[in-house]
Amino acid sequence: MRTLYAEGTGPFYRLPVRAKLLLLATLGVALFLTRSPFVLAAGPILGALVYFTLGLPFGLAARRLRPVFLTIIIVAAFSFLVSEAEEAVLQLLRLTTLMLFAATVTATTTISAFIDEITRLCRPLDRLGLMRADDIGLAFGLVVRFVPEIMTRYEAIRDAHRARGLKIRPITMIMPLILLTLRETDQIAAAIDARGLRGHSITTK
Amino acid sequence: MSTRGLVLVSLFAAVIVALGLLPPITLGFIPVPITAQTLGVMLAGLVLGAKRGVLSVALVLLLVIVGLPVLSGGRGGLAVFAGPTVGYLVGWLPAVFVTGLIAERIVRGRQGAITQTGCFFAAAVLGCILVLYALGTLGVMLVTGLPLIKALSGALAFIPGDLVKAGVAATVARAVQAGYPLLPIRGR
Repeated sequence: MRTLYAEGTGPFYRLPVRAKLLLLATLGVALFLTRSPFVLAAGPILGALVYFTLGLPFGLAARRLRPVFLTIIIVAAFSFLVSEAEEAVLQLLRLTTLMLFAATVTATTTISAFIDEITRLCRPLDRLGLMRADDIGLAFGLVVRFVPEIMTRYEAIRDAHRARGLKIRPITMIMPLILLTLRETDQIAAAIDARGLRGHSITTK
Repeated sequence: MSTRGLVLVSLFAAVIVALGLLPPITLGFIPVPITAQTLGVMLAGLVLGAKRGVLSVALVLLLVIVGLPVLSGGRGGLAVFAGPTVGYLVGWLPAVFVTGLIAERIVRGRQGAITQTGCFFAAAVLGCILVLYALGTLGVMLVTGLPLIKALSGALAFIPGDLVKAGVAATVARAVQAGYPLLPIRGR
């Protein structure tokens, strides 16, 4: 699966994941506590400076932001017309800033760095016996592994329907898709346990 | 968590991602094309129940956070949470939980087809429409400062599509319950 990480070098690439997430959270809080339009206006400018100098080609970098930015603009415009104009502008600035810095964190952090950090954060729960932190990485790997297979299965079902001259409707496609996928569960679970991927004290059931 | 449980949660998360990759469907009478992804979220609750449904959806959100473009339209990464519709995304978690909770309690093995489908429909609507829109609207209000009625009015266009989805989800869930029952049914 294609990832949103972009190879590169620079200060943001070197920061540890935890630091980046904390900075982002702090930024978010600060943005929502600030009411000055001048301070907030600097936000998107700084954000754009940081994000667009990361190394991604400009078109690609901009295209990634388009869906979110579109909702930000539309809601801001709606807000501007229907509610207080000043607040709408402030919200536009706040959200755009947050969006740019969030996209920066995403582009400068590898998936495995994220997963490692989240697993680390869940270790205390591991020690409490509430969950196994390593299951997160395993579950993640399973999803990535099986999405292409499910898509292929969908296409096979769709082609089979076409060959029979049946109309392609969501219900008739999704039902077999889910049933066929779920029926693989035991097979996959047995394979995982056979490989000892979850340690030796787990049973298949 | 048993290995089987882990695999179920992961497979369903993969289904939700796969449904997001399918092109949006345009139904004649609805102005907005509907994506199948929230259908997947409804099904997570209806098929897996509250606990596993939440884990499945949480796994999908994890993929988004980590930087994979798994939301419908190829969206992903932390930037997605910086928009005014963030409540509709984070709201998936309580929505699935409520859907699963209701399904677990009102669906019974011995129900007739129509009754069971009706129960699934009710669970889908109460959880993934009512609760989800409530939280989504709350999110919009918090993030943009819009008052309630105005925050809600923007979302109304999507409700007919979601009702259709709930209908589809209920039908599929009943078929799955008949073919590969996974829903932990509680109560008498």
